[in-house]
Amino acid sequence: MANLLALIHNETIKVWRKKRFAVVALVLIVLIPVFVYAQMKIAQNNASKFADWRSELQQRITDNTNALSSERIPEEWKRWRRALVQQLQYYLDHDVNPNTPNAVTFTSSFLENSVSLFIPLMVLAVASDLVSAERSTGTIKMLLTRPVRRWRILLSKWVTLILYVSLIVVATVALAYLISGLAFGYEGWGEPVFVGFEPQGSDIELGAVHAVTRGAYLLMEMGLVWFSALVVATIALMVSVLLRSTAASLVTMMAAVISGMILANMASSWHSAKYLFNVNLDLTVYLQGTPPPIEGMTLGFSLAVLGVWGAAALATAFAVFTKQDILA
Amino acid sequence: MSKGKSGNSRLWPILGLTMLLCTALMLVGFAAALRDAWFPSRGIAVPEASEPPKAAEGGLADKPQWLVAALGDSLTRGTGDETGEGYVKRTVALLKEASGKPVKLVNNLAVNGLTAIRLSDQLEQRGVQQAVAQADIVLLTIGGNDLFQIAQSGGSIAEGRDVSPELLERLIPQTEPLLDEIFEKLRRINPNARIVYVGLYNPFYDMEQARSMSAHILDWNDYAHRLAAADGNATVVPTYDLFESNVKAYLSSDHFHPNAKGYERIAARIVQSLE
Repeated sequence: MANLLALIHNETIKVWRKKRFAVVALVLIVLIPVFVYAQMKIAQNNASKFADWRSELQQRITDNTNALSSERIPEEWKRWRRALVQQLQYYLDHDVNPNTPNAVTFTSSFLENSVSLFIPLMVLAVASDLVSAERSTGTIKMLLTRPVRRWRILLSKWVTLILYVSLIVVATVALAYLISGLAFGYEGWGEPVFVGFEPQGSDIELGAVHAVTRGAYLLMEMGLVWFSALVVATIALMVSVLLRSTAASLVTMMAAVISGMILANMASSWHSAKYLFNVNLDLTVYLQGTPPPIEGMTLGFSLAVLGVWGAAALATAFAVFTKQDILA
Repeated sequence: MSKGKSGNSRLWPILGLTMLLCTALMLVGFAAALRDAWFPSRGIAVPEASEPPKAAEGGLADKPQWLVAALGDSLTRGTGDETGEGYVKRTVALLKEASGKPVKLVNNLAVNGLTAIRLSDQLEQRGVQQAVAQADIVLLTIGGNDLFQIAQSGGSIAEGRDVSPELLERLIPQTEPLLDEIFEKLRRINPNARIVYVGLYNPFYDMEQARSMSAHILDWNDYAHRLAAADGNATVVPTYDLFESNVKAYLSSDHFHPNAKGYERIAARIVQSLE
């Protein structure tokens, strides 16, 4: 056990030294102000055009209803819009503002928008060369000539990865909150948000809807984002073991993540796509209550798909890493 | 294990502990998300809805500012107007000019293809009621989709095949009670607003077989006018004459909705009726 802890210590410091996390933080510090600025412009525009948030919300409902009447819009988009209209109507009926401009709301929506591409990208920055870098620098031979079992080495790398994934998600949220708070104010933790909308075909089931605080909502969202980031990281670790080259594994993983995002947007007619891990990455849709990318997907289903992919990737990584020939 | 540089001895405890705490936090969040999805709690109480603002009593001339709400079908939406302004935004701008008062659009709640029965349903929605309740002027178009079947199919016309004066004659008596209902509901929501109903026109006036429809459309407008007169604080703005002499110049390419010029003329009419 002490042995394993020492290995994790070693791995953690190695990744830190490679300044991977510094790059992630820097990207966030540059990007978030851009989104904050855009969001601020939207809020200002709405404030000048509408008497209060209620009439703005009502206008959003009406505009989406109008889009629904168009023949040109594909049925899947209509499904999504119809759900949105029903949700917004629920908020309006209960006199709750779904979009109060504050730092917590901003952070939530930033997380929702980054779960399918941005967060995986940040995670890949750490995960993709965890094994392959050792190979290209040759240090893997040194690592494996120690009297340590190979599986322990890979396990220490995986645990390090989990730790960094957690750090990246928390850092994303912390930075988004701190930076957007400058523009929107730091309140909003106690405001109500509705959860429990259940999309059923083209309708939304309202029976289980209940309110939680924005703070609790954000925490749940972070947990879900963390889980999907963890699966991406685990699969990246396997790819990194299999492909032996950092560039190749990074490109492979990015292709997988990006194609997943595209598929989630347009493949609702291809039903078996729902068994791909990359279509299931956006777990926050279940919390938001928006229809999933493919009909029939549920939180349990997506978690199972991600879990199976993650477990299979982990098993493959261990099987290959412990038997692999390192001489090359 | 570390390479022995100074400063490392402190990095690991801090970094390790931070990461451990982050991981614990994520696990808590993940567990909370699962629990909320599968074993939902009652949830927190939502604060009571506050009373929405209401329009002031009194005539338009006495009010320091005018709030406008628009309701109805594609005409109020501004369909066919290549500038996207429609008659609603133009009316607001013209009213501002003519009255010298601040005039503000609360909401344009029009929905393309809206029928009278759906408008009546819409008036039961809380958000719609809030918008109507605070308005000093309510602009309204309705009936086009009930009376012209063709409007329901998106407004494309197949050489006047769907245009039938007989059908129109049959549909008018069915639709009239719905207009009653809409006026009644509007009054219940807002007892003080000036209601402006924009009358129907015959978009097929240039077609020989459809010209006789105009008489029925005038009947409909006349019915609306009687309702407005009974109400006392409502106006019907006639538009049928605007689209008779030169249909092509004021209708858009779908041959049903007005174009930018057509909407401009409707807006001018509305402003005149309020002056």
